[in-house]
Amino acid sequence: MPMNSAHPDVLALITTLKMAGITTIILMLIGTPLAWFLAKMKSRGKVFIEALVALPLVLPPTVLGFYLLLLFSPQYLPGQIWQEATGQQLAFSFSAIVIGSVLYSLPFVVQPLQKAFEQLGDDLLEAAAMLGASAFDRFFTIVLPITKASFITAASLGFAHTVGEFGVVLMIGGNIPGETRVLSIALFDHVEAFDYAQAHIISISLVISSLVLLSLIYLLNRPNKSRPKISKPVSSKRFS
Amino acid sequence: MADLSINVMVEHDDFLLSINEKISLTGITGIFGHSGSGKSTLLKVIAGLEKHVQGQLVINDSLAADLLLDSEAKKIVAPQQRNIGLVFQNSRLFPHLTVEENLRYGQTRRKNTLVNKPLDFDEIIALTKLDNLLSKSVEQLSGGEQQRVALARAILAEPRLLLLDEPLSALDDKNKILMLTLLTKVQKQLNLPMLYVSHSLAEIQQLANNLLVLSSGEITHYGDIHQVIHQLTTNNEILHQTSLSLTVKEHLAEYGLTSLALGEQQILMPFNRQVESDANANTNVRCIIAASDISVTLHEPSESSIVNHLQGTITSFEPCQSQVLLTVNCSGQDFFVDITAWSAKRLSLIVEQEVFIQFKANSVRTLR
Repeated sequence: MPMNSAHPDVLALITTLKMAGITTIILMLIGTPLAWFLAKMKSRGKVFIEALVALPLVLPPTVLGFYLLLLFSPQYLPGQIWQEATGQQLAFSFSAIVIGSVLYSLPFVVQPLQKAFEQLGDDLLEAAAMLGASAFDRFFTIVLPITKASFITAASLGFAHTVGEFGVVLMIGGNIPGETRVLSIALFDHVEAFDYAQAHIISISLVISSLVLLSLIYLLNRPNKSRPKISKPVSSKRFS
Repeated sequence: MADLSINVMVEHDDFLLSINEKISLTGITGIFGHSGSGKSTLLKVIAGLEKHVQGQLVINDSLAADLLLDSEAKKIVAPQQRNIGLVFQNSRLFPHLTVEENLRYGQTRRKNTLVNKPLDFDEIIALTKLDNLLSKSVEQLSGGEQQRVALARAILAEPRLLLLDEPLSALDDKNKILMLTLLTKVQKQLNLPMLYVSHSLAEIQQLANNLLVLSSGEITHYGDIHQVIHQLTTNNEILHQTSLSLTVKEHLAEYGLTSLALGEQQILMPFNRQVESDANANTNVRCIIAASDISVTLHEPSESSIVNHLQGTITSFEPCQSQVLLTVNCSGQDFFVDITAWSAKRLSLIVEQEVFIQFKANSVRTLR
């Protein structure tokens, strides 16, 4: 069945999943090194970067969307560069809502990972280095397996939060079917048109799927005996 | 003969480590110092885990000089490239791996695959008595078992030098003794040089052939273990004691005693199970006798319950407040004796005088 002949809400679902999926992949690729950097960082600049990452948690999404809309328009340098490189306008495109989602959901990925890396500490990594493991080797054989649950949590939260986003997408994506019209916006359309039956279908599906996803995350993070705890160092910061 | 040439400086907020020494990489070298003396920092510098180190660090062996650090040339070899092992105070086993997987972690990443054939896994397991633990998760292990796994894991990576940072400090006495015996055995069988950091001189005395003493970030003594303990005693830096390494003459099992040879004379100590299990005579026993446990008589005591009396000559007489520290040479071995100034006056002791020293078998101490 070709895309444009599908039901508009199905099309919105596909757009939403595509946006959330791509956003999550980018978030993991950017968020992991950023979280690592923050976990290891000791200078005072750390709090500023942490605050910057956490900003989307407190800011109205429309504020972020407003500034991004300006930046993405061809009148400003980022939008200009994008247009010259791709031949297309950045504002009101699928790429725009992905970039917006990445910024908007960043704290949901960075914070659990940063906490996990801080808890892991340096002890085991030092031990692995003394056994001949390089930095990459240590990441894949020590860090990743031990903090696996936090990675799954981070990815799930990033995904779920992106699915539930409205303000940023509305500001920088507009409402283009098959391109930027996502479920939350489709829902808004239905309500405005007094089509409550359709609005109910979308709403209840989002409630149920989010509930299932969050339950899975909490299940995963429940302290249980089969998941190895990290042995606490006796004293790691002593000189003698 | 390999050695480690250290010329480094590390500065922390209120602490300066400044070391310039060539350490011989044979046998076990003990590094002794109080908390904050910089001994763990020194170990971290050698391991490559300490950042912001100024100076140079070179391992010389018969073949070549291997530069590990040269801050001026901005050359720093990463810890994983140094081929140096480190056993930490807390065993730092990987919690997501089984005992065997922990052991294999270092083995599969060992550096000297070209030169030697790998150590036999089963042999090391047998040596460290881990046979029954291989499939266990590391959380099921006791403290002593964890430290044995940590030791075996470090050995299986086949380092050219093994660093030990207070590896016994978290263990109870029984496990301490077990580990001490194990370390001696490992050192002998694999001929692996070790640097052993501890704040317990008694521990080091049981193991090391050389002793390096650190105080406030500087080396104050370095040399043969017994000689350095001798110096520390004469400088009043530690409790006065005589450190000995003697050969077992025979076991008097029925009396619960072991006889050690001191030239023509002998010293009796409590029967030493460890020594016996090491079998044959000619085994060396390391022991310490506190200076306060030894007394002096002018004539050989014939009717005393004290079993040890040795003939010797007073070689030094050092008043120290109301006490006197005597050095008495018996069959070539110096013994330190603490007596009161009053006794010294009453017996009119002087240097070059012939005397007898006496002490109970129980005052001859070993950790094992």
